[in-house]
Amino acid sequence: MGVVLEPYIYEGGMYKHGLILELLEDLGGYLVQKTPAGSEVTLVMLIPKEDVHLVQDLAKKLLGTLTKAPLTGTEIAVVSPTLASHHLPHSACDVAEYLRRGGSNTNMIGLARGMGRKVSLSEDYERKLINEHDVAVFSFGVFSDCIINKKPKLFKGIKVPIVATGGPELNTEDVPGADMYVGGIGRIAHRMRKEGELNSLDVLNEKVGEMIENKREKLAKDPLAVIPARVMQEIERQISDIQNVLSPAPITLQLDGLRIKLPYEDYHKNIENLEFDEGVVLSEIADVMPSKMKNYILVKIKPESEVGYSI
Amino acid sequence: MEPLETFLVEAPLQSESEQYRQILKDVISDMVLAQSIGRIKVVIRPEESLFQMAMVLRGGLSPVKTSDFADVNVGEFGKNEVVIKINNEKYLSQLLKILWDKYGRLNVRQPERKTVAVKTENPMDKISNIENIIVDDPRNTLKKRVVDMAVRVAPEGFRVRYHSLKGDNFIFVASEDAMKQEWIEEAHQMLDELTDKED
Repeated sequence: MGVVLEPYIYEGGMYKHGLILELLEDLGGYLVQKTPAGSEVTLVMLIPKEDVHLVQDLAKKLLGTLTKAPLTGTEIAVVSPTLASHHLPHSACDVAEYLRRGGSNTNMIGLARGMGRKVSLSEDYERKLINEHDVAVFSFGVFSDCIINKKPKLFKGIKVPIVATGGPELNTEDVPGADMYVGGIGRIAHRMRKEGELNSLDVLNEKVGEMIENKREKLAKDPLAVIPARVMQEIERQISDIQNVLSPAPITLQLDGLRIKLPYEDYHKNIENLEFDEGVVLSEIADVMPSKMKNYILVKIKPESEVGYSI
Repeated sequence: MEPLETFLVEAPLQSESEQYRQILKDVISDMVLAQSIGRIKVVIRPEESLFQMAMVLRGGLSPVKTSDFADVNVGEFGKNEVVIKINNEKYLSQLLKILWDKYGRLNVRQPERKTVAVKTENPMDKISNIENIIVDDPRNTLKKRVVDMAVRVAPEGFRVRYHSLKGDNFIFVASEDAMKQEWIEEAHQMLDELTDKED
């Protein structure tokens, strides 16, 4: 698997966007997500590194834009203490929206009892759900005392990298348990569109990008037996029912697996028996399990060191 | 009293006070309360889990009567009716509801958009009755909005609450621990400071 794939987002008109998809297929790239909106379309793709200029040229011809999207192929949990109006729609949704612009798929998770200082806590189910993601972004409030002394107990049991966001400008070391802290966000009751607020969101995207990059590098040392995008393509080819799923991202890529939005009971056999051209079936190189999110299917791909080969 | 002539927010750090002030501003404008609040002071001590707010509302809102937005007259000769010509449709639905309750649905007609006719025995006597019906009391809805605003601006986990609304003076204390009498007294003092300015 010598091809290095780079993540890009194409934004342009619906007209002739099929040419991009055809070129992408010829080059051996992958389409991660396609979002049509009126006469516009957004394509999230993985393009082979040395062929990026070809897509760039075509995008220019079609008057669209091709931008690098470092968060592509990741699923990020945006966790807010509850789903009450104190956190939503601003600032937690603004954070999620900004991360999506970087190419990631985000899920908003509102804890059942995350609010308050002494009384805040998380449930086992919630922790397991958050652990299914690549990165968890916690959105906290205005007071440094709360963020430093009280809120970190929500990090207990979270095994994925944690990014905490809040109002005060603190150092990462001040927030116990967090792998990264981004200030300047916090509790905001209006849409974030002032310069300072947007800057903080840019910083957040950058830091999450760094964190993802770290995780990618770790994975590169012991690569996965198959890249998640390839599994996605095979599912689209072999399991036609995925076309009928109405979610914006019927198959959501993660760094080390994917979430398939089909009911586990009915489809897990089909997924396990997914065949690759090399004669391997998916269950040999990955764990297929029920997801904590609805009754979806979660696939975690095993590393090459465990399987003994990669395809 | 000018709208929001005093607007104080005290938190442990200057930057935190400013950010909390912004939250208050946003909520006040969301609830369309900017014109109704004269003075407001908020004190937050996160390490004690305490949120205190004292507020002086601007008075001067009077109840809306039928005569404020409509002309009431007798109907045509021979018909026992009172005819109400509406000038401001904002209160029409509330007026209709009151008339239905009072005179019965069958006796209230609305021949066209801005006219309501009420069938009654002595139209001449009923005119002043109808003119004086209190259709809307902004003070009532204001109270509701003020309480709602208080709940929205307080930190979410602070579910133990004390509030007092006397005339135009409003006090709100919230915490996640058991309420302490001294906090309530302190909030009353805050209110006294605010009202002292009134000379």
